[in-house]
Amino acid sequence: MALRLASRRLALASATAPAPRIFTRGMASTLEHSKGEPLSTVSEALSATRPPVPPSKTTTIKEPEPEKQSKIKTFHIYRWNPDEPSSKPKMQSYTLDLNKTGPMMLDALIRIKNEVDPTLTFRRSCREGICGSCAMNIDGVNTLACLCRIPTETTKESRIYPLPHTYVVKDLVPDLTQFYKQYKSIKPYLQRSTPPPDGREYRQSHEDRRKLDGLYECILCACCSTSCPSYWWNQEEYLGPAVLLQSYRWIADSRDEKTEQRKDALNNSMTLYRCHTILNCSRTCPKGLNPALAIAEIKKSLAFA
Amino acid sequence: MASALRPTLLLQALAAPSSRLTTSALPAFRSQQHFLRRAPIALQQATFQTSSRRAILPPLPQRMEGTVNDAVHLPPSDPSHGNYHWTFERLISAAILPITIAPFAAGSLSPLLDGTFIGLIIVHTYIGFQSVIADYLPKWRVPFWRKVADWTNLLAVVVVGWGWYEFETNDVGLTEGVRRIWKAGSKVEGTA
Repeated sequence: MALRLASRRLALASATAPAPRIFTRGMASTLEHSKGEPLSTVSEALSATRPPVPPSKTTTIKEPEPEKQSKIKTFHIYRWNPDEPSSKPKMQSYTLDLNKTGPMMLDALIRIKNEVDPTLTFRRSCREGICGSCAMNIDGVNTLACLCRIPTETTKESRIYPLPHTYVVKDLVPDLTQFYKQYKSIKPYLQRSTPPPDGREYRQSHEDRRKLDGLYECILCACCSTSCPSYWWNQEEYLGPAVLLQSYRWIADSRDEKTEQRKDALNNSMTLYRCHTILNCSRTCPKGLNPALAIAEIKKSLAFA
Repeated sequence: MASALRPTLLLQALAAPSSRLTTSALPAFRSQQHFLRRAPIALQQATFQTSSRRAILPPLPQRMEGTVNDAVHLPPSDPSHGNYHWTFERLISAAILPITIAPFAAGSLSPLLDGTFIGLIIVHTYIGFQSVIADYLPKWRVPFWRKVADWTNLLAVVVVGWGWYEFETNDVGLTEGVRRIWKAGSKVEGTA
């Protein structure tokens, strides 16, 4: 910072008295930028970059005249279009009257898509927090848009981003391929080789069934995994809270007979033990589950086995 | 703050006499003029950059092992880096607690206790740094620097361990040292 201030002083001094041009270049510097990556700079300079589109130009239908009681709220939404790969992602602003919008963020997004900008892209399905499609980062918290109320204060503007540290397919749609491939790797199904004792079904005691409470409700929305710094740095090797919670769901299941193999699969330095109990997962879970507890239970069962 | 100042700087730069620009002898500046003329939008966007981009381990292009329907490959079971390692680490952390509090109550008991305390702290720190290295230097991505960091960590254990050995055998030792530093000010006040 001190260095920047110094350069600014230099720049101001040179504005009054003409100095060699080398000193007029202050904080923003295309030259310094191009030093590291000449290729990307050239491509950035030559590609047709889109300036931010003001909301007045993206609106196809005019908002009705604001009424006296209207509560106008601004939403800033992350936009990136794969059809224009050279243009950078940008934030686009939309304003809605909260009196004419449903209470949830998803209602606002659907209304923007229907009435303001049909190019806005996001996933949604059940609109009641059971499918996990509309997971996104709203006002800095990973959550389901359908379970997130719009804050009614109109002075505060809302910001909506896709899930952090994911490859973006378009606008608010993240690529969860790696997440699902990891889910598949823990074999999320009942593994048994012996038939049920009564020949009809695999029975469980009430106590054994109760062990699955808080685990079976997980809808795999990926909110917790993408909020975990450990998962951000090592998602190629670390499974992440959501998949580990699912893994524990099958380890804890009394009917499963491959418990030891399941635990053995996690027993290395990367797959499970990159969890440093940061607890972002439990804090962000839109279903109120506790993935950190499940991971701790796996660690405990491995440690004293 | 810096971002608020930048547009004014840019205006100054653009308002600078153009004769100076065209006669610039430095090839680097010539290329910059080129950008000034060719793509003012690109320049505008470049001004959002506060400094040169030097990302450490920037994200690679997306790459998929196999098809979308193949599960990721989990490494083979390795207890010495898995559950044994974790249990060992927890036990050491738990052992450090009482041995930290004991000297407060009983004073410097014996060099052996001091030695145990220091030994545990060094191992604890070693495991901590090991964890940091595993987090930030993935083996598949930077194998060379990972190896350098791992060996540096081990070297630090040896050097620090040797230093503490000298301090314990040829000097007053850790607990007594802390006690003296703690009471260093009060002695001065007492004499004055």
